[in-house]
Amino acid sequence: MAVANLSAEDEEILSRRQRSLWRDSLARLMRNRLALISGAVVVLLVFVAIFADKMAPYDYATQDLDANNAVPSYLMWLMPKHAERYAKIDNSFLLGADYLGRDLLSRTLYGTRVSLSIAVVASLVSLTVGTIYGTISGYVGGKVDNLMMRLVDFLYGFPFLIVVILLQTYFKALARVGAEGGFAKVLLDWNAKMGGMLLLFIAIGLVNWIGMARLARGQVLSYKEKEFVEAARAVGASHTRIIFRHLIPNVMGPLIVAETLAIPGYIFTEAFLSFSGLGVDPPTPSWGIMISEGVQNLRTYPLQILVPAAALSITTLAFNFLGDGLRDAFDPRMAE
Amino acid sequence: MKKIAILVSLLIVAGLLLAACGQQAPQTVVVTQVVEKNGEQVVVTQVVEVTPTPPPEPVTLDINWGTEPPTADPGLATDTTSVAVAGQMFMGLTKFNPKTGEVEPWLATSWEASEGGAVYTFHLRKDVPWVKYNTATGEVEQVLDDNGNPRMVNAHDVEYAVKRTLDPATASDYAYVLYIIKNGQAFNTGADGVTADDVGVKALDDWTVQFTLESPAGFFPAIAGMWVVSPVPQWVIEAAGEKWTEPGTVVTNGPYVMTEWVHGSELNMKRNPYWPLWAANGGDIKGNIDVIHGVMITEESTAFALYENNELDTTGVPLGEMDRVKSDPELSKEYYNAPDLCTYYYGFVNNKPPFDDVRVRKAFAMAVDKQSLVDNVLKGGQTPADHFAPPGIFGAPDPGAFSKEMPFDPEKAKALLQEYLDEKGMTLDDFNALGITLMHNTSESHAKIAAAIQQMWKDNLGVDVKVENQEWKVYLDTIKKTTPLDEVPHIFRLGWCVDYPDENNWVYEVFNNTAGANRLRRGCVDATCTEVKPMKFDELTEQAKVEQDPEKRKELYYEAEHELAVTEAAYIPLYFYVINTVTKPWLQRDYPPLGAPNYWDWVIDWNAKKAATGG
Repeated sequence: MAVANLSAEDEEILSRRQRSLWRDSLARLMRNRLALISGAVVVLLVFVAIFADKMAPYDYATQDLDANNAVPSYLMWLMPKHAERYAKIDNSFLLGADYLGRDLLSRTLYGTRVSLSIAVVASLVSLTVGTIYGTISGYVGGKVDNLMMRLVDFLYGFPFLIVVILLQTYFKALARVGAEGGFAKVLLDWNAKMGGMLLLFIAIGLVNWIGMARLARGQVLSYKEKEFVEAARAVGASHTRIIFRHLIPNVMGPLIVAETLAIPGYIFTEAFLSFSGLGVDPPTPSWGIMISEGVQNLRTYPLQILVPAAALSITTLAFNFLGDGLRDAFDPRMAE
Repeated sequence: MKKIAILVSLLIVAGLLLAACGQQAPQTVVVTQVVEKNGEQVVVTQVVEVTPTPPPEPVTLDINWGTEPPTADPGLATDTTSVAVAGQMFMGLTKFNPKTGEVEPWLATSWEASEGGAVYTFHLRKDVPWVKYNTATGEVEQVLDDNGNPRMVNAHDVEYAVKRTLDPATASDYAYVLYIIKNGQAFNTGADGVTADDVGVKALDDWTVQFTLESPAGFFPAIAGMWVVSPVPQWVIEAAGEKWTEPGTVVTNGPYVMTEWVHGSELNMKRNPYWPLWAANGGDIKGNIDVIHGVMITEESTAFALYENNELDTTGVPLGEMDRVKSDPELSKEYYNAPDLCTYYYGFVNNKPPFDDVRVRKAFAMAVDKQSLVDNVLKGGQTPADHFAPPGIFGAPDPGAFSKEMPFDPEKAKALLQEYLDEKGMTLDDFNALGITLMHNTSESHAKIAAAIQQMWKDNLGVDVKVENQEWKVYLDTIKKTTPLDEVPHIFRLGWCVDYPDENNWVYEVFNNTAGANRLRRGCVDATCTEVKPMKFDELTEQAKVEQDPEKRKELYYEAEHELAVTEAAYIPLYFYVINTVTKPWLQRDYPPLGAPNYWDWVIDWNAKKAATGG
């Protein structure tokens, strides 16, 4: 009885302490104005991504070939000299139209969907898989740790992009052949509905957990010898409980920071893959596709690259500042 | 007077510098001349003293090869970049006049066909030496034979080159154009008992080479000008193997020698001073370019930016810049636009459902607004195509000949598709569930065209088409006729450019289902086309190939084109290419519609270029 009581009390103290740790961090984050604004931008982007179909004035695929490369009159100042000689002025497109007469604004709004989905799904996948794998490896230690980490080293040896490209090539071939039924069919149908995004998520997620796993293991190695873990062990808490209740909440901080800072990388990966024809299927817009299209007539119609590039830059900056803010918030020692 | 030796050609030879002292010191040079005395040819070698003057600054041409040439070996070249590189270094027997497109003497001075036209005899120039670039001294040197005399290009070199191209061990992708030569196909495909000796090419003497053909072919002199026939140095190839085309090793005979090849970055050339056709050597080629500096930039937009920065003398105009180039006061003057002998098309895989039904193929073809594509997307003044061979090819129908029968007609297209759906008891959703795929090789402009057409099919037929792309080599492998039906896309993009200006090079060599690659999979008996049954089109093209009467041939080709584009609707001809280039005002150039660019004829106003570039 005494033992059980002690355990319950212990739990209460620990959980109170935990909450205050998070609350401390939140308070520190609130004081960082740049991070706060960035957070607001991220929330706004999520909002745009969800309601893109309601906000966009046109469908992203509708083309009006006669209005190709249209520029609104109030943006002519952004155009190169002599632009009035060739540009089609058309104010029905708020930010102008691309080479097929598709509305740039609508395509950029829809592009938010692709980019943010990649950011969310890829980081969730890599965070979940990486944390669990790394924590188990670090906690169990010994031979198991050695084996699990050597596997990570082995996977780390492959250049990341080549693995993604191989996976995407394989997935695309699979999608072309089609599946007879079962799980594969469900997956492929969903993929087709999402314009080829699902397989891209899986490919990016599958290669990104490795770094997270290493980070998680390193954190767990240092935490598992700490007094509170000792204490938990002494009162007879199970391994699962120690891992999920005591270790993971403590190592989560640095992991979240690392993940936030990795998000711009995922967005760029998507852009690169779409550029090389291994990303989303046209006409689904993504910022990567729009930028690679825009760069071809950078000197004639700069608007076509400025719009998606601005969206990409703002998003990247927002995630970076937010990441920085979170790092300072979770680990105040680094801020000083 | 005739008894006096007549100078046929002058070769300033062999940099055997016996007294290599300071710059201004007199030097002794061995000069070899081929002189005709009383109708006999004599090689005269003299020792002459010359005082060198400081070399003038070389006239340099700055160009963009476009990409790393896969090869510089004329026997293996298949793409335009490789052909352009090999064409500077090796001479074919004939060449095309860059302005008129007529076949002209090049390495061969004259040729004649036998009665019936199945045997061709070519007489070669006797004064073209083999040369080599010395990477240590930076000089071009003549290659000497065992007796110390300059080694000349002769008929045996031509014979060797043809047999080498056809040798299955060489694995030349372009060997098929030589199938017209007797036993060419049998030797190339490794038929039993056929050796190189059976191939219908023979050096009658040092300066005469004779070709025996499978069947009479009036276009053979054009084929003789192709790179796969260019003489290559047997002794170098046998000694150096695959690396024989590297600078320092390669031995060549054309107007330029390769001096540097930084793979993936740049490839440079230098004027071959021993080449007998230069005006300075008594020939009639008047180009003044000493050095070709060629970079390898894949993105057209990047190359165009370099051009605007005066770093390239000429380049293509990217799709995206077309509007500005045409309206800019400077650029519009430098802009040149002319028809090119190439056709852009979408092929259907004719044995893959639902494209095994002619109504579906016709529906897809009629739902494409080619005029709008040309006007709004391409903008380069291209002509919408309604058949395969562009104007300028012997036997090609007039542009628009079939456009009444295969018009842009969304109503009719929809009706045809509906008819098919009704017959199969399908809905449009069922049809879309088939996952129709259009594939193209990775490129900015192919992607743009595909996106435009994808939406036309969506708007006009209600059909969802998936667009995919692959890198060129992978792509070619995907769309070959033996790929399982599951993995091949329904529709694929390709273009075809002229090798020689005859319909045979178009409809027969590309689409005949036994002679060509048959990527359209026409008349396939099984899924992977191991066996095909010839259709009317195939018979027509075979007949036309051997037909001797030009008028009759034209009729046959008209009928064949009609059969393929209208009756079978086996593919969608989209447009005939145009050359869209800009050239700096100081460069005088030609636009040869076929073969390698003729840099040897180009002239640069060096002072003007220096002034503009501030060099």
